[in-house]
Amino acid sequence: MKNKENAKVLIIIPAYNESANIEQVINYLVSQAPEVDYIIVNDGSTDNTLKICEEQHYHYLDLPINLGIGGAVQAGYVYALKNDYDIAVQMDGDGQHDIAYLDEVLKPILSEEADIVIGSRFLKKEGFQSSQTRRIGIKILSMLIKLTTGKKVVDVTSGYRAVNRKFIEIYAKDYPADYPEPEAIVTAIMHRGKVVEVPVKMKAREGGESSITFRKSIYYMIKVTLAILVCRLSYGVRRAKG
Amino acid sequence: MIPSTLRITLIVAVICYFIIILYLLKKRALNLKYTLLWLLAGGVMGILVIFPDLLVRVIHIFGIQDNMNGLFIMCIAFMLMILMALTSIASRQNMKIRALVQEIGILDKRIRELEAHPEEKQE
Repeated sequence: MKNKENAKVLIIIPAYNESANIEQVINYLVSQAPEVDYIIVNDGSTDNTLKICEEQHYHYLDLPINLGIGGAVQAGYVYALKNDYDIAVQMDGDGQHDIAYLDEVLKPILSEEADIVIGSRFLKKEGFQSSQTRRIGIKILSMLIKLTTGKKVVDVTSGYRAVNRKFIEIYAKDYPADYPEPEAIVTAIMHRGKVVEVPVKMKAREGGESSITFRKSIYYMIKVTLAILVCRLSYGVRRAKG
Repeated sequence: MIPSTLRITLIVAVICYFIIILYLLKKRALNLKYTLLWLLAGGVMGILVIFPDLLVRVIHIFGIQDNMNGLFIMCIAFMLMILMALTSIASRQNMKIRALVQEIGILDKRIRELEAHPEEKQE
């Protein structure tokens, strides 16, 4: 069993037009967890995100074109793989996720109870709980994942996650493109990963805009539902072959 | 039967089609790998125009009554196949671009580090 001192941990923070939040998020992160490395992935932002990163001498990857959240997070996993990190933690760049819960999120991986840990805002129902419509959407997706994989995950859209070395490698090769969070859970389960949820408190966004507007939410549900089914099917076939 | 004037039109059309493809191939404006399906479609069309009896027989096997309709359906089928092939090519390129962009981002960071600390060398 590894302990926190000798496990190399990287925090991946995808950022698309987060100039309103990024300083606060990083300064808070550095003050709360100075011992862990972090990397901001600037996903072709059109605002000052890059400039802020440069001026503040943050650690960042600058993607020349916008790949979307999936591509940005995956860039972080590729970076983690190349730099031999043992654990990667992904957190949103908008300040919703609190670094104070880092230990809780890391614990199941350090004790090897889990390959993937999801920080869930619904387990203890504390903090920001999202709007009712979104909660219904999340519940439907959660049921769908339970149906297709047999694994119960409550907060399927949470972007606060930690994964071990094995899944850094898997995600570096195979990570869904847009609206990736629920699909990435299915990918993980299909690779026989142990998924554990831990309770975290989330905050409402500090500034900027959420990537999912109400208008897009219908499209989101259809797209993610299909993605989960396709993901489940394609791995099912591959598994039968192997 | 297909009227002979129509047959002549179709033969001319198929010949034009091949000339255009071969011209583009020669200019290297088309990658041969992606043209195979186009050439196959042209080939099948050519054979059917030269031997119209074959067309009639094939069409009847599929239960299509009218010869012209059969011809149209075949054209549409080929176009659908080509479009699907194109979508799959676009998707694959999308994945490659994604990997390249990620690699550029990582290399960019490495270059910045080396510029800031030129004495540091890769072990």
